[in-house]
Amino acid sequence: MWRYVEPAFRSGFRTVLYDQVGAGGSDLRAYDTEKYSRLDGYVDDLIELCGELGLHDAIFVGHSVSAMIGVLASLKAPGLFGKLILVGPSPRYIDDGEYVGGFSADQIQELLDFLGENQMGWAAAIAPAIMGNSDRPELGQELVDSFCRMDPEIAKQFAHVTFTSDNRDDLPKVDVPTVILQCSDDIIAPTCVGEYVHRHIAGSTLVQLAATGHCPNLSAPGEVIDVIRAHL
Amino acid sequence: MVLTVDDLEDLYDNAPFAYVLMQPAGSIVAANATLSDWLGYARDALVGKRIHDLLTPSTRIFYETNVAPILHLQGAFENASLNLKTANGETVAVTAAASTRRDKADQTGLVRVALFKATERRRYEKGLIEAHKASQEAERATQRLLDAERETSVLREQFIAVLGHDLRNPLASINGGLRLLQKEPPEERRKLLLELLQASVVRMSVLIDNVLDFARGRLGAGIPLELKTGIWLAPILEQVTAELRIGSPDRTIETDFDLPRPIRCDPPRIGQLLSNLLGNAITHGSPERPVRVHADNDNARLTIWVANAGDPISPVAMEHLFQPFFRGQVRKSQQGLGLGLHIASEIAKAHGGTLDVTSTPEETRFTFIMPTGDG
Repeated sequence: MWRYVEPAFRSGFRTVLYDQVGAGGSDLRAYDTEKYSRLDGYVDDLIELCGELGLHDAIFVGHSVSAMIGVLASLKAPGLFGKLILVGPSPRYIDDGEYVGGFSADQIQELLDFLGENQMGWAAAIAPAIMGNSDRPELGQELVDSFCRMDPEIAKQFAHVTFTSDNRDDLPKVDVPTVILQCSDDIIAPTCVGEYVHRHIAGSTLVQLAATGHCPNLSAPGEVIDVIRAHL
Repeated sequence: MVLTVDDLEDLYDNAPFAYVLMQPAGSIVAANATLSDWLGYARDALVGKRIHDLLTPSTRIFYETNVAPILHLQGAFENASLNLKTANGETVAVTAAASTRRDKADQTGLVRVALFKATERRRYEKGLIEAHKASQEAERATQRLLDAERETSVLREQFIAVLGHDLRNPLASINGGLRLLQKEPPEERRKLLLELLQASVVRMSVLIDNVLDFARGRLGAGIPLELKTGIWLAPILEQVTAELRIGSPDRTIETDFDLPRPIRCDPPRIGQLLSNLLGNAITHGSPERPVRVHADNDNARLTIWVANAGDPISPVAMEHLFQPFFRGQVRKSQQGLGLGLHIASEIAKAHGGTLDVTSTPEETRFTFIMPTGDG
């Protein structure tokens, strides 16, 4: 996810990247369905990881659900982060009264059912087919492999935890300088959600990207690098 | 044959799959007639839409979180399961493949996307997933059966080993006693020997009863009861106590029975329960102190307890006390099958009652309580 962005910050910063437990190159034996039934399990991992590395006042950069994990970690471990950079964050994906998250509860349920039915279609079948089909040799086999490798059951639970999460109440508690990167035409985290996050984190900065889609770190790394750099 | 431009156009427009050219971010640049037919949109209307707009909401999320990143990383994807939404709201299941146009002359990064109908394939996949789930469930059931079978097999081995050992002991004493009797010892000595022989026979018979009950219990039937009404328990409990006294003439057993009304129970089983508790108290209790037996019944319940002095039962042993083949720390010659307390507790359960234990440095007490109604 950060392959095109992270190298730009190696000079001048110590960069730390990690895979959430259950994904990528993480040790699947560490996956515990009870612990990871809530975002809090991932939050504890992040805090533990930073503790192990002795990080204080660090700059957290997170994308999508990982952005919210960073927000929650900053609340649970004050002093850990001196700045939050949130790319495409969403405190809640499902609409709720006045709040527009972008999806109805039925749509999310349909997604979760779809993932259940199609674990073979995308976890077992997609991944190997894609691995052998790279026309960008600079992406090592290892990267594609790690991006695609996710146990179907874990993927299902992760999707459930992500898309049914509601952390709107946590936003006003954030007291760390925060920068929100909002994409254009992002169906996962629409612009109104980015604006919601901006309104509810006092003193936060909202940056509208020209990049479209939900993964600007992949589709428009240059713009993401420039915006992050401008706000360090 | 040489293909004309018309041939090539037809090859594109009327291909047996939907074919789309789009911007990397998903804006459709061109779509073939097949897609227009499937979805019920004019081809012009498709141009300018984003590929996301053609997907059902759930697969739109899936595309954005799982497929688009791969397209960005690799410039291609294959075998992506997606659902298209037609103009009148119907769903078309498709499998999608894509590759990015990337040569020196073309820097647009346009993406070719082919969509194949996958209704049957989706049904097939669903069937596979269900079959996979069913086979996992069957495997778990087999595993459970295997575990139970293994447990039984371990028990059976323990059982045979213990049985061989424990029946041989009293048999050896009977053998020795008989040999001494053949030498025609004096009257006093003979009487003592006969008492000891009698005790050994009682011990063997108790062991055999316990073994049979245990086997029945394990076979799933539980302890079989023959319930009788109007039973006066006092004589039955006296009889059991007397037998145990004969078996251990040097021990004191104090009784205190207050059983003023008849009850409904299986009398030999209650006798067996007391016999097992008393046997346990004699084996494990301090030899210098008496074993005490108490029984009373009121309108609601029968209580029988057996208490002995001596070292308390360790907390570890407490946990396993009522398990079959559990044997505390005693002299080898006194070991039983480790079934006595297990069977006593099974008898208690079969009567709708409980068997509990308290153990302190002052006293270890097993208490049996069962509801009696009015007998």
